[in-house]
Amino acid sequence: MTTAISDVEIKGAIKKFGSNIVLNSIDLEVKQGELLTLLGPSGCGKSTTLNLIAGFLEADQGDVFIKGKKVTKVPPYKRDLGMVFQTYSLFPHMTVYDNLNFGLKLRKIAKSEQKKKIDRVLELVKLSGLEQRYPRELSGGQRQRVAIARALVVEPELLLLDEPLSNLDAKLRHELRLEIKRLQKEIGVTTIFVTHDQEEALSLSDRVVVMNAGKIEQISTPTSIYKHPKTEFVFQFIGKSNSFEGMVTSTDQERIMVQAGQEVTSVSWDNVIGENRTFQNGDEVKLYIRPENIHISESQEAVDGYELHPAKITQLNYLGTSWEIDVAFMGKSLQILTNEYRSSWKEGSEVFVGWKPQELKIIRKE
Amino acid sequence: MEAARAQNHQKRVAPKEQPPQQEKRAKKRKPWAPGLLLLTSILLFLFGFFVVPMLYILYLSFISTDNLSGEGASYSLSNYITLFTDSYYLNSLWVTVKISLLSSLVALVLGYPIALTMAKASAKIRALITLLIASPLLVSIVVRNFGWYLLLLPNGTVNTLLMDLGLISKPMNLLFSEVGVIIGLSNAYLPFMVLAIVTSLYNIDPSLEKASAILGASPLRNFLSITLPLSLPGIVSGCVLVFSLSMSAYVTPALMGGANVPVMPVVVYDQINNLLQWTFGSALSYVLLGTTLLSVFLFTRGFEKSKFKEVFR
Repeated sequence: MTTAISDVEIKGAIKKFGSNIVLNSIDLEVKQGELLTLLGPSGCGKSTTLNLIAGFLEADQGDVFIKGKKVTKVPPYKRDLGMVFQTYSLFPHMTVYDNLNFGLKLRKIAKSEQKKKIDRVLELVKLSGLEQRYPRELSGGQRQRVAIARALVVEPELLLLDEPLSNLDAKLRHELRLEIKRLQKEIGVTTIFVTHDQEEALSLSDRVVVMNAGKIEQISTPTSIYKHPKTEFVFQFIGKSNSFEGMVTSTDQERIMVQAGQEVTSVSWDNVIGENRTFQNGDEVKLYIRPENIHISESQEAVDGYELHPAKITQLNYLGTSWEIDVAFMGKSLQILTNEYRSSWKEGSEVFVGWKPQELKIIRKE
Repeated sequence: MEAARAQNHQKRVAPKEQPPQQEKRAKKRKPWAPGLLLLTSILLFLFGFFVVPMLYILYLSFISTDNLSGEGASYSLSNYITLFTDSYYLNSLWVTVKISLLSSLVALVLGYPIALTMAKASAKIRALITLLIASPLLVSIVVRNFGWYLLLLPNGTVNTLLMDLGLISKPMNLLFSEVGVIIGLSNAYLPFMVLAIVTSLYNIDPSLEKASAILGASPLRNFLSITLPLSLPGIVSGCVLVFSLSMSAYVTPALMGGANVPVMPVVVYDQINNLLQWTFGSALSYVLLGTTLLSVFLFTRGFEKSKFKEVFR
């Protein structure tokens, strides 16, 4: 993003439902033309944030700006947005054409223009020819396409997507995800996408906002969210992870030496998660390793200069493109994601596992 | 009988989809058999105490007699011919339909805002309104009608108040007039209207309102384009309920209208109980039933064929 004009800005938003603080001082900027995802577990405040932008909720404190205009008190129908809902929310008593025309009529678009715009957007979502169908007569995927078309046809300032894929089956979800990405790039409309599905968030977004308990944990690109998580929550929420407990034995300019069980391992300062980045000898820490970063092998031969240690397979799960293997290692269960599967392996097989020290993440135990 | 009839009408308006029968099982096990067994008692009851008397009345309506003893009875259409050629009875039919239509309309206009409030309210408020709406049903309709007397008589509360305020110079004929009957009927059947509408309002997905608002619809436009059309099934079944209950109402028109408002049920009662014209009374009651069924059929059919037909699926 070279242009740094923000299309949406939320400043210090606080929202409470009764005594329950749903948003605890949120600051957020959405850049022009980007696809930003709000990601987090249910109850993290992502939908509330979206509703603040849409105008369905009003913050107890703080302000919302759209294209530089303060809209904190502006009702939804005056905000000129497009929104897609989880439940499609097509008007059941209107045909596809009338659903799409609803927003155009309200904007007093000329009749001839209406048809042109609708034809164009239906072509975009590949639904030409279904104008006269009622929502009841469409499949789930088609309904959601109509919903997207209905949001886009009015050429809104912003496109808001509230978990639009969670009612669809896995295959359709994937298909529509790619389509949303394509459409968004084609039209260039600034888009805010709410989801609890990390895969969706990582694959779609220009930037991801990870939220937890009413706070923003991290705002970053998908790769940096995955590779350089700022907080323990982000690390654990995005992808799977194995954890060990350990104790700091010494530190130097480059590395932190940690004793975990019998092993002493070194971790780079770059791999420290969390705000607290000072370590002293004797500090209790947690070490994390991603399942796909664990090497599993039949022989104990060292790979790329790191050692392998004996382990025993406890479970094998075939995932199609890869294998998920659980092993017992140093009295703990480790999950491994790998393609290096040997057909001789079964439950109880003796294997060797290891990892590059630079893949270990470290965080101070609170 | 009124209630049974009303239920029939409601079924017609909101046909619940039959669960698709699993064909394979149906062939082997006859899945309807246990249901039929359970239904037997109620079917027998309905047949003995509803179908048979109704058929008997239908039979009576085609008998013509010269005198009260029933001697010289013969089959003929003379009862129906008298009915359709005598302006008194035609007028009575017209008054009945008119009053029933207006009562439905008044109940709709009064009931819709209540239903809307209920649908939007919190669970607590909703329970309270439901209780308030249903409470008049606990009071006998006779007692309620005499309550209206106190309010509507020429020297009753309403007239006294309006005269004291100088809004009218002489008392209005609120009681023993069509207005009185409409007041009484719409009041009595308001709960049915409210409950019918509120049910269909509950069924509207709340995100539809959000979707229409975000597309630029003001609250009023939202109501007119989304809420109102989608609540049509409730409006139709509420109107059908109030209409058919009003068509067959006896107590309220008799007490609130008296001789000035000769609605069909009152005329039927007169014929059978006072004039002992059983056969003519039977014909009258079948014409009333036919008119009710036909009106309801045309009304619901009109909506189901309208541009809002999709709402009724």
